[in-house]
Amino acid sequence: MATATNIGTELDLIAHLLRRTGFGSTPGELEEAGELGYEGTLDQLFNPGDADPLPVDLIRRYHADHNDLRIPPSSGSFWMYRLVTTKTPFEEKIALFWHRVFATGQTKVIQGKVMISQIDMFRKYGLGSFRELLIQLSKDPAMILWLDNQDNHKDNINENYGREILELFAMGVGNYTEDDVKECARAFTGWTIANMPYMSTKMRNNTLRPYGYIAWQFEYDESDHDDGEKTFLGETGNFTGEDVIDIICKNPATPQFIARHLYHHFVADELPVPQWPFEGPKDPEAIQLMVDAYFANDYSIGAMLRAMFESDIFKSETKRFARIKSPAEVVVGTLRLAGDFDWPTDDVYKATAACNYMGQQLLGPTSVEGWMGGDDWISTGSMVQRINFASDTIGDPDKRGVKAIVSRIADRHPSGNVEPEALVEDCLGLVGRLRVEDGTLNGLLAFVREQGDVDPSTEDGAGKITSLLQLIVSTREYQLA
Amino acid sequence: MATETGARLGLEYRDTNGFGAAQGGRGYYLPVDLAVRSDGRIYVLSRGDAIQGGNGIKITDIDHNWFEEISSRGIAPGQFISATAIAFDASDRLFMADEALHRITIFDADHNYESHWGTEGSGEGEFDGPSGIAFDRDGNLLVVDDKNQRIQRYTPDGKYLNSFGSAGDGNGEFSFPWGVTVAPDGVIYIADWRNDRIQRFTHEGKFIDACGTTGHGQGQFNRPANVAVDDDGNIFVADWGNQRVQAFDKDWNFQTSIRGAGELSKWAAEYIDANADEKEARSTFDPYPELDVNDPHEVSARTEPYFWDPVSIALYDDTRILILETGRHRFQVYEKV
Repeated sequence: MATATNIGTELDLIAHLLRRTGFGSTPGELEEAGELGYEGTLDQLFNPGDADPLPVDLIRRYHADHNDLRIPPSSGSFWMYRLVTTKTPFEEKIALFWHRVFATGQTKVIQGKVMISQIDMFRKYGLGSFRELLIQLSKDPAMILWLDNQDNHKDNINENYGREILELFAMGVGNYTEDDVKECARAFTGWTIANMPYMSTKMRNNTLRPYGYIAWQFEYDESDHDDGEKTFLGETGNFTGEDVIDIICKNPATPQFIARHLYHHFVADELPVPQWPFEGPKDPEAIQLMVDAYFANDYSIGAMLRAMFESDIFKSETKRFARIKSPAEVVVGTLRLAGDFDWPTDDVYKATAACNYMGQQLLGPTSVEGWMGGDDWISTGSMVQRINFASDTIGDPDKRGVKAIVSRIADRHPSGNVEPEALVEDCLGLVGRLRVEDGTLNGLLAFVREQGDVDPSTEDGAGKITSLLQLIVSTREYQLA
Repeated sequence: MATETGARLGLEYRDTNGFGAAQGGRGYYLPVDLAVRSDGRIYVLSRGDAIQGGNGIKITDIDHNWFEEISSRGIAPGQFISATAIAFDASDRLFMADEALHRITIFDADHNYESHWGTEGSGEGEFDGPSGIAFDRDGNLLVVDDKNQRIQRYTPDGKYLNSFGSAGDGNGEFSFPWGVTVAPDGVIYIADWRNDRIQRFTHEGKFIDACGTTGHGQGQFNRPANVAVDDDGNIFVADWGNQRVQAFDKDWNFQTSIRGAGELSKWAAEYIDANADEKEARSTFDPYPELDVNDPHEVSARTEPYFWDPVSIALYDDTRILILETGRHRFQVYEKV
């Protein structure tokens, strides 16, 4: 693979980090990170300041439907605002990660308010102890009704949540028995929501009447908890849900499973999850690195990731552009680059819909298995949607982010005319130090030459640079993170 | 200012009106304003969502009678995209503001579309997001020109007269003002939304005073949306972000604060009665569950009787106040005691 930028510099490595921990980087973000250096950037990622997203009061005032967040376009776009405008995108990337692993869908739970609360929970606990995260997940009202734990009673268990916490959320197939599923379910009896009969009936009926949805509140019903003796993963006792989570978290299969998910999301595309019981991880050394960090740091997810990001495995050339961007990464990354959404706008609904059309409905995963990712993201239709969205978004020279790119190019070339090679290199660098193949590079150069002289200080030059940016975000390489 | 002198004025819950109706017809969907006509009929501006569309202006009365709905989502004359406020003139013509179309639409007393005026901009006679509207004592229309941070005054047929206010947090300055009310004595009240205060102006637009600082204590506000003033000068503020209504006397002495006590309205009870499964499930419903959150918006989301986004207030025959909630698609009725 050839390059139009200086592959191998620390700035390229930082750009790689920002693609994985965020949604790429604007020129300003990369510049600031470059001043911090790689380690300094890591420190800041794990000790973030104020997210300072577009204020919620503004969103709610100008979008009445963002008050109750009842319908999917409202809840999805409410999150979209935060994704695009946050100054701490790593928090959102973590929330997206857990949303994918602990896939919960508004299609069943109906109300977006509790889905957004679940995302808030992921943001708050997503980098902390996996034990605490699993406790929060097990108490999360959206998860409880998504997997029917409100119907899990001491005299009539429902195995749904007990099964999925083992199979899909923490350990993976092959690391537990059917008896473990039943015992796990028994431990979570009594974990329900307040006013369960009315709330579950309203969820089923899915009606606005009488007064919209009432957001759910976790409730522990001790009278419905099976406090009898249980044998779970080889241990016996009068286990509660917290006890079961303790046993899950100390099991060696758990960090193996979570590390493979983290690798898939942050390092390089893995096989689809259903194949994991039959095919080992692509990079066992990377998995072990994270497993060790997990046990050495009280089950800390953040420690697993920090160890990964500090490793030569993550920094290696083979991991650069080794993942296919999710639709959310394409949409959010492009909007951030363009500098959109600094004020409430109905365009947020279009962006959220675009994500849907590409195959990722925020808050609406297709099943409890979440999205597979990798090659699954790409089809003829989704590719067209990706290119059209990115090209349309970046194609407005009046957008703040586009103006900033043009301005930087103008500053670099005060004499006016910019040579095609320099212009392409500048633009690839300013969209997050994108690396392209020779064929793509030659195509970009040919496009610039056809356009004639480019003076970035002029309106004509800004238009030509914008056209080049549109072409760059339409490349195959732009789909890679 | 805003000192407590004892709860001289109280507000007692009396009734709840309305229920959710996303598909139109009887009921409201994400309502943002209400107004009482001279004959006592109550008009509720049901804004709707951005996907399914505007829901119309719904007409009811204090006894829950349902009459009809007018207007709908769209850009055609008489329609709206993002309606914000309604007000009646002395002839019962109905005026409606739309912050997306930057225009004021007028319906005659029989609800027929009459005309509209306004265009986007920042010059005289132009709007950037008209929000609250109210008629002054001379019968001219005050329009809160939200993002232009000013109040404009027009004749009813849209002739620009004057304006006051500018961006800022000083006296007479605004930060995204929302609601406007003209008291019986002609004083103009503005919900200075992002400055978390209410400002008063003379009929001419000269600053009188302001009440409120940011917070959740007595006399403090979190994004107040609207104001109502009774014949005695008592002031009722829809403290939107704090999910409550605060009452003050004419000198801004704190009187009371209410959080909401909504019950099943007549229409809601009819709905529950007609749906056996919901009726049975609701028989064990505890409207005040124990919560593990403190944020007022989240508390309201989980507590059905509480106000959820109280956005507008109107006086009814000067003895009752109507409090409209965007999130619960209803209004609650309180009586002054």
